Amino acid sequence: MNRRELFGKFLRASGAAIEPEVIRASDGSYHGPPGGSRGSQLVAVMSGPFSTAGSPLGLSNLTQIPQFVAYLRIQAHPGQHGKVILASSYIYNCWNHFEDAAFAELWPNYDGRMDDGRSDTWVLQDVHWQNTINLADIYVYPEIWGETPLVTAYQLV
Amino acid sequence: MLVMSPSGGPVTVDSVPVPLMSRSWMVTKLTIRPRLGQWSKILVGGPDLLPDESNSIAVLYPVPNGGEADAFTVQDPAGKNSIDISQIYVYATIPGDTPLVDTFYYRTV
Repeated sequence: MNRRELFGKFLRASGAAIEPEVIRASDGSYHGPPGGSRGSQLVAVMSGPFSTAGSPLGLSNLTQIPQFVAYLRIQAHPGQHGKVILASSYIYNCWNHFEDAAFAELWPNYDGRMDDGRSDTWVLQDVHWQNTINLADIYVYPEIWGETPLVTAYQLV
Repeated sequence: MLVMSPSGGPVTVDSVPVPLMSRSWMVTKLTIRPRLGQWSKILVGGPDLLPDESNSIAVLYPVPNGGEADAFTVQDPAGKNSIDISQIYVYATIPGDTPLVDTFYYRTV
C-alpha cells in the first residue's frame, strides 16, 4: 500500500467517524448549550491561535464533539505565510486536494503590505444570536503545516 | 435542535453563467468570493446574467497577489432558509476559474 492509498484509507475511516458525532448531537451529547438555544451572557468559548499540527495531515475540525455557538470568526494569522482552507466535512471526499472542498480560503498576510495590513477574515453569525453554528462542522486546513489561524467563537449561555 | 450547516465549495465556470446549483436549494446565508490567486473578475446575478456584466448584482475583483478577497454576501435577516441558490448565477471572465461559494442553511437535527 503506497502513501496515497494509506491516506485514502485513513481519511475514509475518519469520514465514517463523523457520523457518530451527528448522532451524539441528536442525543444531547455535546459541549455547552444545545443547538438553537439563546442565553443571556456572551462567552468566548474559543479564542487565539488554532493549531491543527496534532491532527493527521494537519486537517482538523474546530471541535471534536459538537459545540454550538452564535458567532464565529476565523482570521489569517498576521506574519504567517500559508493560505488557510475552510471547509465542511465534504473535505474528506477530497483527501489529496483539500482546496477543491474549500468554501473559503483565507489569504496570508505575512508582512502587512496588502490592504493596509488587514488580514483576510471569515465571519459567520446567527442573525438571532442563537447558538446554531456547530464548531465540529467547520474544518480548518492551513496549507503550511503548523500555522495557526486565529479563531474566535462566542456562545450565549 | 436547530443547527446551521455548511455547504458549498468551488464552482467551475466555463464559458457561460452557471447557477450555483442545478436544483432548488434554500439557504440562509450565501457568500461568493473570487478564488485567491485566480485572475477572473467574478460576476454574480440571476438567471438573466450576461457575460458583459448586464444584469449583474455584483462584480467581484480578482485577488491575484494576496490581500483581503472581494466578496458578495447575502443573509436572511430573519434567520430563514429563503435564498434559492439555483437562482443565483456566477460567471468568471476567464473560463475554468473557480469562484468559492459558501452557503449555510438551517436544519433540525
